[in-house]
Amino acid sequence: MAKLNLALYWAAACGGCDVAVLDVNEKILDIAAVANIVLWPVALDHKYADVAKMAPGSIDLCLFNGAIRNSENEQIARMLREKSQVLVAFGSCAISGGIPALANLKDRDDILRRVYLETPSTVNPDGVLPQTGCPTPVGDLHLPEFYDFVYSLDQVVEVDYYVPGCPPTPQRIWEVVQAVVSGNLPPRGATVGALDKSLCDECQRVKRDKKIKRFYRSHEIITDPELCLLEQGLLCMGPVTRGGCGTQCINANMPCRGCYGPLPGVTDQGAKYLSSIGAIMDARTPEEVDEIMQGIVDPAGTFYRFGMSTSLLKGAVKQ
Amino acid sequence: MDHPKVGAVMVVGGGVAGIQAALDLADSGFFVYLVENSPAIGGVMAKLDKTFPTNDCSMCILSPKLVESGRHGNIELITNAEVESVRGSAGNFTVGLRIKPRFVNIEKCVGCGVCAEKCPVKVPDRFNEGLGDRKAIYTKYAQAVPSAYVIDPEHCLYLTKGLDKGKDVCKLCVKHCASQAIDFEQGEQFIAKMVGAIILGTGLETFNPTGFINYGYGTYPNVMTSIEFERMLSASGPTSGHLERPSDGGRPKKIAWIQCVGSRDVAKSGNAYCSSVCCTYALKEAIVAREHAHGELDAAIFHMDMRTFGKDFERYLERARYEFGVRLVRSRIYELQEGEHNELIIRYAQLNGEVKTETFDLVVLSVGMVPGKQNQVLANKLGIGLNKYGFSQYPNFNPVSTTREGIYACGAFQGPMDIPRTVMHASAAAGYAATILAGARNTLTKPVVKPTQKDVAGQAPRVGVFVCRCGINIGAVVDVPDVAGYARELPGVVHVEDCLFACSQDNQSKIRELIESKNLNRIVVASCTPRTHEPMFRQTLREAGLNPYLFEMANIREHCSWVHAGNNEAATQKAKVLVKRAVSRVVLQQQLYEIDLGVEQAALVVGGGVAGMNCALDLAQQGIQVYLLEKKAELGGLTRRVHLTMDRRNVKGYLESLIDAVESNPLIQVYRKAEIQDVRGFVGNFDTTFTAAGQTHVINHGVAVIAIGGRQYQPVEYLYGQDPGVITSLDLEEMLADRSPALRAADNIVMIQCVGSRDIERPYCSRVCCSESVKNAIKLKENWPNLNVYVLYRDMRTYGFFEGLYKKARNIGVMFIKYTMDEKPLVERVPKKDGLALRVTVKDHILGRPLQIETDFVALATAIIAPEDGERIAKLFKVPRNSEGFFLEAHIKLRPVDFTTDGVFLCGLAHAPKLIDESIAQGKAAATRAMTVLASKNLVAGGVVSAIDGERCSGCRICVGLCPYSAISFNEVLKVAEINQVLCKGCGVCTSACPTTACNTSNFSDEIIMAEIEALCT
Amino acid sequence: MVDFEPKIIGFLCNWCSYAGADLAGVSRLQYPANLRVVRVMCSGRVDPTFVFKALSQGADGVLIAGCHPGDCHYTEGNYNTLKRYPLMMQMLEQFGVERERVRMEWISAAEGTIYADVVREFTETIRQLGPYKRRLVKGRDQVG
Repeated sequence: MAKLNLALYWAAACGGCDVAVLDVNEKILDIAAVANIVLWPVALDHKYADVAKMAPGSIDLCLFNGAIRNSENEQIARMLREKSQVLVAFGSCAISGGIPALANLKDRDDILRRVYLETPSTVNPDGVLPQTGCPTPVGDLHLPEFYDFVYSLDQVVEVDYYVPGCPPTPQRIWEVVQAVVSGNLPPRGATVGALDKSLCDECQRVKRDKKIKRFYRSHEIITDPELCLLEQGLLCMGPVTRGGCGTQCINANMPCRGCYGPLPGVTDQGAKYLSSIGAIMDARTPEEVDEIMQGIVDPAGTFYRFGMSTSLLKGAVKQ
Repeated sequence: MDHPKVGAVMVVGGGVAGIQAALDLADSGFFVYLVENSPAIGGVMAKLDKTFPTNDCSMCILSPKLVESGRHGNIELITNAEVESVRGSAGNFTVGLRIKPRFVNIEKCVGCGVCAEKCPVKVPDRFNEGLGDRKAIYTKYAQAVPSAYVIDPEHCLYLTKGLDKGKDVCKLCVKHCASQAIDFEQGEQFIAKMVGAIILGTGLETFNPTGFINYGYGTYPNVMTSIEFERMLSASGPTSGHLERPSDGGRPKKIAWIQCVGSRDVAKSGNAYCSSVCCTYALKEAIVAREHAHGELDAAIFHMDMRTFGKDFERYLERARYEFGVRLVRSRIYELQEGEHNELIIRYAQLNGEVKTETFDLVVLSVGMVPGKQNQVLANKLGIGLNKYGFSQYPNFNPVSTTREGIYACGAFQGPMDIPRTVMHASAAAGYAATILAGARNTLTKPVVKPTQKDVAGQAPRVGVFVCRCGINIGAVVDVPDVAGYARELPGVVHVEDCLFACSQDNQSKIRELIESKNLNRIVVASCTPRTHEPMFRQTLREAGLNPYLFEMANIREHCSWVHAGNNEAATQKAKVLVKRAVSRVVLQQQLYEIDLGVEQAALVVGGGVAGMNCALDLAQQGIQVYLLEKKAELGGLTRRVHLTMDRRNVKGYLESLIDAVESNPLIQVYRKAEIQDVRGFVGNFDTTFTAAGQTHVINHGVAVIAIGGRQYQPVEYLYGQDPGVITSLDLEEMLADRSPALRAADNIVMIQCVGSRDIERPYCSRVCCSESVKNAIKLKENWPNLNVYVLYRDMRTYGFFEGLYKKARNIGVMFIKYTMDEKPLVERVPKKDGLALRVTVKDHILGRPLQIETDFVALATAIIAPEDGERIAKLFKVPRNSEGFFLEAHIKLRPVDFTTDGVFLCGLAHAPKLIDESIAQGKAAATRAMTVLASKNLVAGGVVSAIDGERCSGCRICVGLCPYSAISFNEVLKVAEINQVLCKGCGVCTSACPTTACNTSNFSDEIIMAEIEALCT
Repeated sequence: MVDFEPKIIGFLCNWCSYAGADLAGVSRLQYPANLRVVRVMCSGRVDPTFVFKALSQGADGVLIAGCHPGDCHYTEGNYNTLKRYPLMMQMLEQFGVERERVRMEWISAAEGTIYADVVREFTETIRQLGPYKRRLVKGRDQVG
C-alpha cells in the first residue's frame, strides 16, 4: 500500500499542538511507517514552494493547528486546502480561534500600539510599527499582513473534520491517522474524539445541587479533591464543555477551561456558561450579586478562552 | 320530601372572595353562577395598586384569576345583576335575579373601545374614585372581565334625552361600532336559576368620611381617603402613578396618614370595631409613596396602636420604619386645619404630653371598612342574620356559615379582613357548599369534549395566516392588505386571510373550514394579545382536529396599532415584522399533548389539631378516604389548653364533638403517635411510609395537608419557671376555668404582652395574645371585681370585633399600660413580711415615671412558635418554611393554603399564629383546595412544560435546585436530572440554566426563540 | 444620525411585563415603533445567548423585562434574570457594548405607563448611541 501524504501545519498558535504530535511517542514511528510527511515546519525542512508545486488533492491528510491571524496563515490555509483530501482543524485555535482570538476583544491598532509602543520592555524610540513591506538594500521585503481579526480555520476555508483540545490528546491524533489510513471516516464536518455529553458526565467528583456564594481563582483556594470544583467556587467550564478529554485538568485539581468547546446545539459557549452560572449564584439582591461577581475577574476572557472567533459577538468593536 | 340536590352554586359578589369561591367550585365539579352587581368582576382588589406585605402588584396577581373566571367552562358570569329573591332550601334553591341592561351585546362586543373614543359625554370615573373621567360608554377598568363595554344610562345622551322622545340623539356609538354590538332595546331582565347552595361575597365599602367635619374631607382639597390615594399610586390610575397634590398638582413633600377614620370610634362613626387592615395598608401606601418620590418625602402615620398582626406584617412594619424611614407617631388626631396654601396643619400630643404642630402637603385618611350598602338588603331577601355591625352573623364554630342553611358567606361580608383571610374564607365557603352538595358533584358541569386530532408531525408546514382589522382598531393604522400580502410571501405560508374581526364567531367557522379545505397544519392570527385571545383560538384549532399548540398570535393591536396611532407607515412595517416572527416560530412549534394521570382518591392529613380535623372531616364528607396522623396520643393539639373563645364560646365542648365526629367517621382513619418516615411520589399519587404505635404503614394518597400546628413559647424571661406566681396566659385560662382559689385570693395580677413575640429572635406578632389577655382580663374582673388587673402592652392588637372587648375591658377597669422594647417591664422578687413577693416595675407612658406593682401573679402572653418537627416535615414533602419556621404558602395573598408543590396544602398554626375560628376556616379551605385535585379521577398534565433528554443530560445538577415547584429531581441510578411533567409549570428557568441543551421547554425551545430573534432582526 | 431608526428587541415575561405592554396599548399610550417583542413565559427563560444573538443579528438594543422581584408568577424565576444581568453587562462591556444598549426593567401588569416610558426613553437612548457596530465575519472570500 502506498504511503499517505501527511502535512502538519502550525498557524497562529502556541506550538502545543505540534508538541502533542510528538507526544504520541514511539507511535511516531508507526505514523512514519504509514505516512510520508510532506510538510511539518516545526520539525522538517520543507519549503512552501515544494508544497505549492504539488498537484491539488495530493496530500491525503493535513492536520492544521492554529488560528488565522495574518495573511501568511491565510495563504497557507488556502494552499493546504487545495492540496489536501482531508483537512482537519486540529486543536482549539484552528477550530474556534483559541487563545490568540482573545485578541478580538481589541482591534489591530490597540494591539500594535500595546506591543510595539507601550510594553515596558520595548525600546522603539521611532515608534516603528510592523509593515507589510519595506525597501532594504537587497531589495523589497514583503511581510505578512497582521489582520484586525483572528479567524477560525473554517471561517477561511472549508474544513472536513474537527479535533478539539488544547492540545488534542495523543490518543486522538493516532485515531485520526488510523481512520484516514483505514478509510473508515466519519461523516464530513464531524468533531472527532469528543462526546455528546459534557465533561460532568466523565467527571468522577461528587456533585450536589449548586448554590454558589463566592467564586475563587485557583490560587485562592485549596479544593477538596472529591467534590465538584464548581460547587467549591472555581469557574469550572466542565458543564458547558464537551467531554472526551478524560478530565485531565480536573484530575490535576484544576477547573476545566473549556477547550473542547460547547455541546452540540449550544450556540455560544460563553453565553451559555453565563446563563448557567447566573442561575446558581446564591443571591437575592443586586448587592449580593455584585459581591459574588467580585470573584469573576474576567468573564469574557474566562468564558470564551477558546471560542472567541466563533462566538456570537466574535469580539469587540469600538462603538 | 327529599328533593334531589342541584349541582350548581350561586356566588354573589365578583370580588376576590367570589372569584376564589367560584373557581374552587368550578374546578371541583360544580357549575357556578357568579353574580356581580357592577359591569365587571374584580371588586376592591382591582382598585389596589400594591398589596402588603410583599408589595406585589395587585393587578398582576388578580388578572390571571379574572381571565380564568371569565373563560372557565363551568362558570357563568352574570354581571350588572342583583339577587331579587330566594326560594327553597339547602340543596335546592331557586334564586331570582334582576339584570340591569348593559345596552351592549356582550357576545358581539370585541372590546375595541372605538365607541368610548367617540362618545361625547365625560363622567367622573367611579373606579378612580372620581379622580379621573370616563365616558358614558365605558369599561370599568382596562383589564375588566368581561371586557365588553357598558352604557351608563344616567349619562348616555340617547338614553337620557332621546329615547323617551323617540329622537335619534347622539348614537355615535351605534354609528362607530363595527360589530353592531350596541343594543338600546335591552331592558331590565328577570331570570331564575336553580342552585344547591349560595355563597355571599358581596364585600365591603370604605368608610365615607364626608361627615367628619374636623378632618375637612370634601372641603380641604388636600385631604383624601386612602382608597383615593391608592388610585393615585396606581400606574394605571388617574395620575399615572404620579404623586400630586389635588389643590395645585404639585409634588407633595410631606404626607400624613391618619388612622382609624371610621374604625375604633363609637363617638362619630359608630363603628366600634377595628378594620384590621388599615395599619398595614397605611404602611404600604407610605412605602410606595416614598418609592414614587425617590425618598424625597416625609411620610408620617398617626395612629393609636400599629396593628400589624398578620403573617409577615411585623417585618413589614420594621422595614417601613428602618428601611424606608416612615415615621410612626402615636397620637389620635382629632382635627385638621387648612393653611393659606391649602397645606394642612396637624396639632398633636406627643407621648410626653407636649403638644406639637406640624404642616403637611397632603393628608390621607385611613378609612375603615364598612359593610356594603346592599348587604342589609341582601340579608333581608335571603333571610339571614347580621351582627350589630352589619356584617354576617355566623353560628358557633362555623366561621363561614350564615344563619340559614345552604347559604354561606365569605370575605368582608363577614367582617373586616385582609385578602389572604378573604381568600381562605372563600375556599372554606366553597367547601361547605361542596360538602352539602357532594352527591350532586359533576352533574351539571360541562364534560370536556376532546375531538380526535390528526397527527401532522413530520408534515411540511402549511401555515394559514389571519390578519385582523379589528374594525378600525387595527385597520385604521396598519395597512392590513399590505401586511396580508407580505405574509403570503413568507416561507411555509399557504393561505392568508384579511378579516374584519378575527375573533368573531363566523371567523372561527372560517378558520375551521380552511384548516379542512386547505389542509392547514399551522395557524397564525395577527390581531390582539394572546393573553386574552389565545385560549379561544386554540379551542378553534382543537375543534378543527388540529393540535391546539400549532398556533401563534402576532399582537398587532395592543403592541402596534394602538400605540403607534398616526404613524401608519412604521406601524405597518412593524406589523409585518411581528407576523414574520409569528410565522417563523409557528413552523417550528410542536404538537403538544396533555396527559391524563390517575388521582388516588385519598388524602393524608398530617396533624390532628382543630385545623387538621376540620380538613379531614370536610374531605371525608365529600367521599374521600382520609388518613389522619397525629404525633401525640390524643387528638386536639394546642386547642386542648383553650377553654373559651374570645366571645365566650365553649371550646372544650366543641373540641369534644369535633373529635367525636372525626373518630366516628368511617372514611377517616386516625393514627395516633404517628411519625412519617418517607414520602414518595407527587400530586395524585403519593406513597407515604409512617409508623404509628409501633407499626409501620404505607399508604397511597392523592394529596397531603400539613396541619402540624405550633407550640407555645417557653419563656426564659420575667422569672418564669423560677417563681410559681409567673405563669402563661394559657395557665391563667386554666386557673380561671377551674376558678382557682389562688386567683380568688389575689389582689393584683399583671399581664405582660409580647413575651417572645416581636423581638429580634422572633420578629413577628403572635396575633392572638392581645385578645387572649383581654378575654382573661374581662373574666377576672367579672369574677372578682376588686382584683386589680394590669395589662402591659406594646400595641393592643385586638383586631376586628375584638376591639369591642378591649373597650369593655377598659370600661370595667382593667388598666392598660404601654411599654416599649427599650424599656421592658422588670419582674423581681422582693422581700415581703411573710416571705417574697413579686414586683413588676414598668414606666408609665403617660406620667413618664416608673410604676411599681406588687402582684400575686404575672401572666405572660407568650408567643406561638413554629412546630418543632417543621424542618423534618418540610424536607419530606419538599415544601418551604419562612425564617421563623412557619410553613410558606405558594402565595401570601392569593394562595394562602396551597404550597408551590402541587398536591400539598397547609392549614392551622403551622402556617402562622391564628385563632380557633381562623384555623377552622383554614382547615376547611385546605380541604376545598385539595378537592380541586381530588374531584376528578384524572389529572391533566403536559402542554407547555420542560423535559430533560436523559441521553444528553450530563448530570451536572445545575438545574435541580432551581425549580420552585420541586418538579426536578435527580435520578441517582442513571445520574441524570428528571422533570416531573405533572409538577412542571413551564417557566423555562431550567432550560436557560441547562449548560448542555439536554433540557428543553416545549414550544419555547432555544431554536424557536432564536428563530423569533432572527425574524425580528432581519 | 437623525435618520437612524434603531432596531430593538424586547424579551417580555408573559405575566407582568407583556401584560404591562398590553395595558399601554389598552390605554392608547403612544411610543415609537422600534421595539419588537419576544414573549417568554418568565424572564428567567432569557438566556444571555438570546441577547447576544439579537446583537449579532443586527439589533441595536435589547430590553429584558420581567415581574418585580418578589412578584414572579413562578415564585422566583425572575431572580435568575436579576442575577444574570450584572454579569452579562460586565461581559458585554468587555465586548465593547455600551451599558445603555442592554437594559433590564421590572414592569408589572399595572405599569402600562412605565412600559411606554421605558420604550420611549430606551429608543431615544439607542437613537443617540447610534447603530451597534458588530464584528462581522463576512465570508471566506472576504478575510482580512
